[in-house]
Amino acid sequence: MPALPVEQVDGLIATGASARMPDTVPPRFRPGDRVTVRNINPLSHTRLPRYARGKAGTVEADRGVFCFNDTNAHGLGHKPQHVYGVRFAARDLWGEQAAVRDALYLDLFEDYLEPHGG
Amino acid sequence: MPDTHEDDIALRVRAIESLLIEKGLVQPAALAAIVETYETKIGPHNGAQVVARAWTDPAFKARLLSDATAAIAEMGFSGVQGEDMVVVENTPAVHNMVVCTLCSCYPWPTLGLPPNWYKSAPYRARAVIDPRGVLNEFGVDLPPDKEVRVWDSNAELRYLVLPERPPGTEGMDAAALAALVTRDAMIGTGTVAAGQGAAQ
Repeated sequence: MPALPVEQVDGLIATGASARMPDTVPPRFRPGDRVTVRNINPLSHTRLPRYARGKAGTVEADRGVFCFNDTNAHGLGHKPQHVYGVRFAARDLWGEQAAVRDALYLDLFEDYLEPHGG
Repeated sequence: MPDTHEDDIALRVRAIESLLIEKGLVQPAALAAIVETYETKIGPHNGAQVVARAWTDPAFKARLLSDATAAIAEMGFSGVQGEDMVVVENTPAVHNMVVCTLCSCYPWPTLGLPPNWYKSAPYRARAVIDPRGVLNEFGVDLPPDKEVRVWDSNAELRYLVLPERPPGTEGMDAAALAALVTRDAMIGTGTVAAGQGAAQ
């Protein structure tokens, strides 16, 4: 891997490198859908926080198609898929100690989700 | 008393840096340019300009809330760790705050590099389970009927909070308003008051 030359620093910082991929994959879920986070416990890299596993939430937004970190981090391919903004009621995650109206939002890859009750 | 944890990290970083340079994987001049950029050019003063414009330009605010990446790009604040942005709006009914429980995901082009506390295990662990307790420690007291939304941003989207415009600022222009906007207000661990600031 060649070292980043100083003359490329400004361009790299200003451009970045989005993990967004061509939107050629049909979405499995739509805003409004109830979903359950799969209770998976990978030993390798993941962007799925442990506290959300097994919990139910509601899809609020389809963020588009992105490269899947869990496979790409290990050289197992991009596995492009939709990422969804999912809203969880704070009480569904933390129980009665949470304020009744509070909520937590997570962007979750489609592979982390299954239809609620499905 | 010296902060031994910070000292250890600084030593380790220096050791890794000299190894990377020795192996030809990093050019010292490139590293210096990156550090200089985030020390002097890119920081929360960028995000403060976005917020102030949203407060004074309703059409921009609408674009910002519907496609934050494009709206922020209009102001030139694009790039690494801001490739895919979402802006969430604080209102009298809703308070938003941002965390990354899995690491330290943060919108660099608008806020610069994250403060140490944002990367600390206590903030990351507690912001999700006890946001009101954490906010209280930051001096933010919310009425019980206000909805708190915690955005745990650990996938590819990066979040910026659009704070509420404080009362008593009706006559101020965007430049004066930007001077009031703090970094913490754009993370959601603070609010903006008419008599204070600013994001440096």
